[in-house]
Amino acid sequence: MARVPIEAGFFRIPDDPDELPRLLGSRCPACAEVFFPRRLVCAGCLHEGTDDVDLATRGRIHTWTYCHVPMFGRSDVEVAGYGVGQVDLIDGPRVQSILVGGPEDLAIGLEVEIGLETLRTEPSGDDVVIYRFRPVGLAAGASS
Amino acid sequence: MRSGLCFDGVAIAGIGMVRFGMLREVPINHLARDAGLLALHDAGMTLADIDEAFVGYIQPASMLGIKAMKELGLTGLPVTHIENASATGLVAFREAAWAVSSGRADVAMALGFDKFTDMTRQSGRGAGRDQIDAPILPAAYFALWAQRRMYERGTTAEQFATIAAKNWNYGAACPTAHRRPDHVVTAAEVLGARMVAEPLTTMMCCPPDDGAACIIVARDDLVRARQPDRTLVRAVASSLQSESYAPGHTFVGPVVGPASMTRSAAEECYEAAALGPDDIDVAYCHDAFANEELEYYELLGFCPEGDAEALLADGSTGPGGRIPFNTDGGLLARGHPGGPTGLAMIHEAVLQLRGQADGRQVDGARVALAHLVGGGSVATVNLLQADR
Repeated sequence: MARVPIEAGFFRIPDDPDELPRLLGSRCPACAEVFFPRRLVCAGCLHEGTDDVDLATRGRIHTWTYCHVPMFGRSDVEVAGYGVGQVDLIDGPRVQSILVGGPEDLAIGLEVEIGLETLRTEPSGDDVVIYRFRPVGLAAGASS
Repeated sequence: MRSGLCFDGVAIAGIGMVRFGMLREVPINHLARDAGLLALHDAGMTLADIDEAFVGYIQPASMLGIKAMKELGLTGLPVTHIENASATGLVAFREAAWAVSSGRADVAMALGFDKFTDMTRQSGRGAGRDQIDAPILPAAYFALWAQRRMYERGTTAEQFATIAAKNWNYGAACPTAHRRPDHVVTAAEVLGARMVAEPLTTMMCCPPDDGAACIIVARDDLVRARQPDRTLVRAVASSLQSESYAPGHTFVGPVVGPASMTRSAAEECYEAAALGPDDIDVAYCHDAFANEELEYYELLGFCPEGDAEALLADGSTGPGGRIPFNTDGGLLARGHPGGPTGLAMIHEAVLQLRGQADGRQVDGARVALAHLVGGGSVATVNLLQADR
């Protein structure tokens, strides 16, 4: 069964499940600012035309919270809670994302790595996925 | 970019609002009609006196404003729809005031309404779920701001809870507030409520609301002639900004916007009005989540950066304090339907400046500030001043 993104144009799903997904970004050729998601006009210097880049797979938590109410996209699934954070990627952009782990696993400044989270399985059998970040070194079985 | 407006000769002619709440049985047009009629009655006018109307709501439906205005009559007046997320009502007010200030209208109406209960019924949880930012609860984004402040400044959840308790208790004294507790709410009670997104409990989050509010502005000489015995309240100045780019900007998600947007909008409004924080007697801000109010103490210039906790602790922003905030309970207790929220702020500010805010009156209030942010994001700051 295929993995399909919740919305096209934001991240690339590798064919090899062992490979990390990549967020799709833009770099301004004039001022070198890097953005997520992709954009045509540089938000900083207003230069028209940017270069497509795959963004870094790691970053650090700028801030985080832990939600104790059901996640919107998972109304069909009972979840105890879930982490949300802003991650400063190594190459610059700040990305808001679901975080893997419980409140005890999360902290400002912690290094995290991108991965995919299955939100639901379609009747066709396709898994609808979104990117999320996991603390580096957190056990693979930790709940999301 | 230039966003500061100084209004010339614009006064409040009438105010009206429907008490906010979960008003499932009341059609949205009737909410709008009732707020509009209250404002017209307060102004001593009918729709025939209104030259132009600005209607605000955040429901995803086109021309709802025209349909609502028809409930007040069909006079052919120009109607413009305004939508700026949570800031919608204040932006409708700003446009109405500018219509009068610019001379194109003698009398203008700003009408806001929304039904959160309709929106949740129409969309249901999980609607729009095929969007990248759908899976994350909006409250989470304000919790992220709270957590960052706790990290940087050592702010405690109890301090956020103290703000929430203050606003709940203000709500008890305001007849148009949604949340009117029958007892004195304490920070401990707020902290003990169900956790939504750490550190925010349900009592630190605004309720979903239905409601409507309406403000009529007019040339000051017309208001003075019609209302010789009432304190004249002027619309003085307004600013409205969208975001300026800075590294760390987030483009995806229900974006809260950079904090600097409020600071910069406030500075522009103060400059346009030739007034400053020291001149302001009562303030209204976007306290949809309790931690926001603490931030706005600093961003609106009422204290230096890092001193907001001290301003809170000494009671400056509560009853009898130097600069009471959100005397109608704010978004936390008065409620936050969306479109009418900013107009409810003006409603309360005008009551304060007229000296009619029974049970919560700020003694001698002469200048009021109304601020909102709208997710996405915008910030607006507006100043009102009483002639006395």
